[in-house]
Amino acid sequence: MSSWLDYTINGLIVGNVYALVAVGLALIFGVSRLINFAQGSIYLVGAYIGWVAVVQLHTPLPLTIIVVALAAALVGLIIERFGLRPLQNSARIAPLLATIGISFVLDQIVMLTFSPNPRALPSQLPDVRFQVGNGTIGPLDLLIAGVGLTSALLLFVFLRYSKLGWAVRATAQDRDAAMQMGVDVNRVNQAVFGIAAALGGVSGMLVGMYYNQIDTAMSLQATLKGVVAEVVGGAGNVPGAVVGSLLLGLVESYGVAVFGTSYRNLFAFLLLVLVLVLRPNGLFASARQAPPEPLTGTFIAPSRPVRIPRWALLIAVGGFAILPLFPVSFYVLQTLINAWLLGMLALSLTLVAGTIGQVSLGHAALLAIGAYTSALLSSSFSVPVGLAVIAGGLMSAALGTTLISPSFRLRGHYVSIATLAIGEIVSLVILNWESVTRGPIGISGIPPLSLFGYDLISASSVYWFSFAVMVVLALLQGRLLNSHLGRSFRAIRDDDIAARAYGLSLNRYKSLAFIFGGFAAGVSGAIAAHLYSYINHETFNTQQSILALTVVILGGLGNVVGAVVGSVALVGLPEVFRIAAEYRILIYGIVLLLLVRFRPQGLLGTI
Amino acid sequence: MTTTASPSDPLLALSGVNTFYGQAQVHFDLSISVARGHIVCLLGGNASGKSTTMKIILGLVKPRSGDVTFDGASLLGLSTPQIVRRGIASVPEARRLFADMSVRENILMGAFVRSDRAAVAQDLERMLALFPKLGQRLSQRAGSLSGGEQQMVAMARALMSRPRMIVMDEPTMGLSPLYVDRVLELIGTINQEGVSVFMVEQNASLALEIAHEAYVLQTGRIVLSGPARALKDDPRVRDAYLGGSEAA
Ligand SMILES: Nc1ncnc2c1ncn2[C@@H]1O[C@H](COP(=O)(O)OP(=O)(O)O)[C@@H](O)[C@H]1O
Ligand SMILES: [Mg+2]
Repeated sequence: MSSWLDYTINGLIVGNVYALVAVGLALIFGVSRLINFAQGSIYLVGAYIGWVAVVQLHTPLPLTIIVVALAAALVGLIIERFGLRPLQNSARIAPLLATIGISFVLDQIVMLTFSPNPRALPSQLPDVRFQVGNGTIGPLDLLIAGVGLTSALLLFVFLRYSKLGWAVRATAQDRDAAMQMGVDVNRVNQAVFGIAAALGGVSGMLVGMYYNQIDTAMSLQATLKGVVAEVVGGAGNVPGAVVGSLLLGLVESYGVAVFGTSYRNLFAFLLLVLVLVLRPNGLFASARQAPPEPLTGTFIAPSRPVRIPRWALLIAVGGFAILPLFPVSFYVLQTLINAWLLGMLALSLTLVAGTIGQVSLGHAALLAIGAYTSALLSSSFSVPVGLAVIAGGLMSAALGTTLISPSFRLRGHYVSIATLAIGEIVSLVILNWESVTRGPIGISGIPPLSLFGYDLISASSVYWFSFAVMVVLALLQGRLLNSHLGRSFRAIRDDDIAARAYGLSLNRYKSLAFIFGGFAAGVSGAIAAHLYSYINHETFNTQQSILALTVVILGGLGNVVGAVVGSVALVGLPEVFRIAAEYRILIYGIVLLLLVRFRPQGLLGTI
Repeated sequence: MTTTASPSDPLLALSGVNTFYGQAQVHFDLSISVARGHIVCLLGGNASGKSTTMKIILGLVKPRSGDVTFDGASLLGLSTPQIVRRGIASVPEARRLFADMSVRENILMGAFVRSDRAAVAQDLERMLALFPKLGQRLSQRAGSLSGGEQQMVAMARALMSRPRMIVMDEPTMGLSPLYVDRVLELIGTINQEGVSVFMVEQNASLALEIAHEAYVLQTGRIVLSGPARALKDDPRVRDAYLGGSEAA
């Protein structure tokens, strides 16, 4: 049984680790108003470089730290130079998407190089613990505290006394004015990416040593925790990030003490949502501080959408509709069923992210809500599957909109953070609310799809069903976008201040978009649940949210036909080219990066 | 740098500049020149494109066509920091101090492009002599100063780079009458030390007091230009700018 002092020490140590990540995020946000979603990947890379150094090269600890810091800094510099600098004049959303793509690529490279299996990362420190009051503290704790304090001191000296440090601070406060003093903003960006990466890499290594285990799942977790700490401290506020991190560490540690380990992340994300809703500028922001958003420039890359003649669409729909009548393989139908399900999710996301400009990174949560609703209704309450699927869609629309509504006043990157957090919260509630969701065991034996008493078992019947649902949803959405409502949606995306000035009620329109989008995604999740017959809290994960985002960018943000074309392309092409499963995520990440850089309007153009 | 620049050529010249924000054209065939050692003033109402002219000179916005030359060499291919290094300092609209940095840090940021530390320290002393009020405020947050004091800091900051030319965007805007007089006096002093000045103003009567030449900008077009003394008596300028409440 650990004492409260132990929990406090643990909270502070973990907080120190978060601080190393969050400080980097804050530096980057300060100078370029960008939430760097690749920060966790650098942390992951740092952990694995540490592993190579310690286990294979047998470097002594001080050298390991230096090697990790330098190698991670190099990765950071490369990301800045080749991933982000070319996007300086792109649409506002481009750098954010690029960091997501970069994080996928880095994580997958690590996974392919080192395999997804966890590895032990020994700390090389003696395994002793010293008694402090009624708690204990070990050498590793002291090391982490020491690295944290040293980094903070170095950073302080850098920012306060070096010329480049002054340039960093000046750029963070007023980029244009800094340029007018002769500050080269590219060098400043380089500096903060290098520093952020060095700190992040060392942090990953220390965490690996702390738990004596590293694996590729660390990446997303680190990004999430760093973002939480940074937002709690106030985006772009470096000392705030440190305090936010320590606070987060303590909240988690005490939360674990009272409720158990599986609640750790739930507390983190609840804290984030609370801060986002109540004090979006962070706990320490003074009233005079303007919110860091919005940035200038258009939100999505403007373009002239490709006009597809009606007859061509009809032929395409007809062709796909009669496809099962031909002797196509089960495998082809299966692939296309996946494409139709992803298409529904993409329709939802292209409406929410593309048409109304709320870039959701937690869309998989809508799948999960629909899936669990339909699965539980049909298996526990014997509700007919057809009705249960519709109920899944409705539940997703209602619950999804309710959960996101407190964040309606947020803009830009903050929306992405909020949706990401809500997505995680949904997954964690599913994990912990055992009496309803059966917790980590998941739900098995979900009945197959059926309609009016007829089971849809054969591949072709499932194909027709999912295709029909998707086409109906697409038609409805196309209608919606061509109406007055659709124009109001786009007005809000392009300039919400002006839209408000014209008397549009932002909340009402955002709600409408989320209700419609929630329904489409919920239905997709519900159908998937009946196809898989087993789901758990990890079935619908962030990876799917990002895949959907890639699909809608591929198709063209806001573009209904594009969402479907993008789904078929991203599900189908890897099958056509027989790309092994473990390379697919890598390919998705690369596709996302290439799109953002070279064809931000997607295949069919943004609307 | 080109060798064609002779002392009689203008220090700064915009020629045939057309500027766009997306589809909207802000400048129509704009030509302005600033002679060495002169104070040149650009007058114009709200949204006439004055601040955009400053941004064109500083390279923050690039024109779609036309040229901007400084000392005979084009600035178009250069980034803002490179332009600053050529010797152009700025006092931006609404001052744009680094609010969370101290007054001392703000002033020293002006010397960012310099590496002669000893001389920079001397120049800081010079600034304190020129702007005596700032002496007691050096360690204060710049954001906590009054508007007039902030203007002093912005001017000191601009001078710290030892520029050949200073561009100022509405330096008297929002200042109390006392500070307006002080700022104009200081601009004269700066100019006498050999720094050319290009300033944008809405307050025509005051600006024309100290300027050598002036241009009047109306929705992106130069509609009048000439020696300041002549413009001051020009009925069209008087009607547009000097009548009514403007001449405070
Ligand atoms: N970043 C910008 N993007 C789009 N339009 C702009 C931008 N900055 C200024 N404008 C527009 O250009 C015109 C000229 O602006 P500006 O040069 O600031 O005028 P002034 O300084 O004379 O008031 C105005 O109509 C203004 O709305
Ligand atoms: Mg202006």
